Amino acid sequence: MTTPVLAALLPLAVVIPLTGAVAAPLLARLSRRLPLVVSVVALAGAAVPLALAAPSVFSGTVVVHYLGGWVPVHGAALGVGFAADPFGLVFALAFVVIGALLLVSTLSQFGGLGPRELGGYACLFQLLIAALVGSALTADLFNLFVWFEVAALSSYGLTGFLLERPVAAEAAFKILVLTTLASFLLFVGIGLLYAGHGALNLAQLHGSLARGTRTPDRIALGLLVAGFATKAGLVPFHGWLPDAHTAAPGPVSALFSGLMVSMGVLAIGRLAFQVYASGSTAVLGVLLVLGLASALLGAVLALAQDDLKRLLAYDTISQMGIVVVGLATGTAAGVGGATYHFVNHALFKSLLFLCAGAILHANGVERLSEMGSLVRRMPVVTAAFVLGVLSIVGVPPFNSYVSLGLIHDALHETHQEAAYVLMLVAQVVTIAALGRATWLAFFRRRPQPYENPERLRAGMITAMSGLGVCCVAAGALPEQILRYVVAPAQATLLHGSAYARAVLDGGRGAAPAPVAFQYGNVEELVTVAVSVVVAAALAYGYLRIREPVPVRALRAVHTGSVNDYAAYAVGGAVLVVAVLALAI
Amino acid sequence: MIVVNYLAAAAVFCLGLYAVLTRRNIIKMVMGLSLMEASTYLFVVSVAYRARSTAPVLLNPQDGKTPAELAKGDVADPVLQNFCLTAIVIGVALTAVFLAVAVRVAQHYRTLDADKVRAMRG
Repeated sequence: MTTPVLAALLPLAVVIPLTGAVAAPLLARLSRRLPLVVSVVALAGAAVPLALAAPSVFSGTVVVHYLGGWVPVHGAALGVGFAADPFGLVFALAFVVIGALLLVSTLSQFGGLGPRELGGYACLFQLLIAALVGSALTADLFNLFVWFEVAALSSYGLTGFLLERPVAAEAAFKILVLTTLASFLLFVGIGLLYAGHGALNLAQLHGSLARGTRTPDRIALGLLVAGFATKAGLVPFHGWLPDAHTAAPGPVSALFSGLMVSMGVLAIGRLAFQVYASGSTAVLGVLLVLGLASALLGAVLALAQDDLKRLLAYDTISQMGIVVVGLATGTAAGVGGATYHFVNHALFKSLLFLCAGAILHANGVERLSEMGSLVRRMPVVTAAFVLGVLSIVGVPPFNSYVSLGLIHDALHETHQEAAYVLMLVAQVVTIAALGRATWLAFFRRRPQPYENPERLRAGMITAMSGLGVCCVAAGALPEQILRYVVAPAQATLLHGSAYARAVLDGGRGAAPAPVAFQYGNVEELVTVAVSVVVAAALAYGYLRIREPVPVRALRAVHTGSVNDYAAYAVGGAVLVVAVLALAI
Repeated sequence: MIVVNYLAAAAVFCLGLYAVLTRRNIIKMVMGLSLMEASTYLFVVSVAYRARSTAPVLLNPQDGKTPAELAKGDVADPVLQNFCLTAIVIGVALTAVFLAVAVRVAQHYRTLDADKVRAMRG
């Protein structure tokens, strides 16, 4: 197909799930399961225009469509543009494919709910996926804000979906307050940028900002980074994340953790590289600090959790931190590694959350202290969970080995050895946390048997095997992924001016630049082996001691009070804005 | 003076933020967030202001001007006013969700004190 046809089809990736979202509650009147079935079909339909565009996009073309035919005139764009560049398309494809798999899992897990509940669930789920795809494709800053709000509104509904659980209302209130604060930051930031440059199109802003970045522009960047960091769950904006993940049903936690938080990272990446000229602000330094803080804090708090879903949620904070550190290096290897790690995280974290949901569904337990002996009771779930854990650990041939290795290479390349050491510490603690969870849940002997366990259903097993296969494939085919996906994605992000030309004037976009990775690098292999050994010792020791004082202090800071979490977020936002405004 | 608008927006924003950070009553926090929201509208509309300009209505201009002349700089910026309209619509939906959750919290916990609604911590 020619590029104009592909471009004209592009909005369908958002329109089809939006239509499905409207249809779902109505179809629920006909049959209970129809809304979920239609949602799976709608997400598969949304994948078609994206998949059709993929070959030309990943070869370096940016497929651009201006909604309503409002094409740019003399380099000024009034209409909302949808532009599929390789970086955004990786995210968009992951959103629809993994979203469809999660819906398949829901189909059998929630099949027993009433028609109203299932209709509402399918509606909110598709709305959220549509918003995520829209945010990945849009080339317009205000449109990005609208998708942020659509995602936020549907995430509130999904967080509070199991309203008979009191914690669901609590979690919904926390996510509401923090995300609303973030939306104010974004709104003011976009207003400031528009006032200074008279443009909302990302490409046009890039051109205008390349001529000079003044203080209001840097303040706007600070506000935007703080706002999207709340969505990404970076420390100190993370207060809502563990609670929302704990209270939501399993597939929703998987959707939040695997997909929704990445929207924040995606937007931060676009702002830091494609909108603002690199080197004109201190944003990479700020991102490095935010990323390292998230990676470390998330890992330590994950080690201390007893609730399995909460543990995985804190690990999400840690993994997002790693992705942001990758972006903060600003090199081909780092940005490529960050993109790769996002895909890996979306796959393995969705898989792990589905496992946690399956354990809760089958046995009614969610605390590690109540679990044990699950390896004999649920061998399929055990296999899936261990696969997910091995992927996070990054033992070759699993997928994180390559993405983490790339980020490590980038830190060496930019001589940020302190950051490299902190990353290794975070990785060791992460391995220990997940190793501890695996031992406690699956392999430890549980003295008393489980009461009337339920059996796993076909849909849950299908979704788990689908995610597992993708996980293994992402690790087994590093050469191909690096060449066909990562290389173009990092090139489009790092060459903002090529992206800008493509969006405004219909240029070709950045040529894919190869990302080199030595798979059998002895140093990297030894590092992985040593971290696994140290982590095993740490996990073993942690099971035997009382909670150490620093960990207890960190947990005490997470008071559960919305006021405190809002205060952390506001304090973080003030710091980010101040640093970006004052540093040259 | 437009500076007054900016000062008022900042004052209302801080007032709302104060409520969000210090009040434990959920309804008061929602009110604080609504205040902050309103202040962002005031700020963005004030950014759109241009001295001696008219409202951004280009049809049937008065004083014998053509629409093109008006658009050249004598009208307030319509895009920023559009921002506010969009954000107001989103804000209404948001307040509805907020209050629905507040009702649920009140039903489950028999209190609106956010400090008593923290089963999840650490």
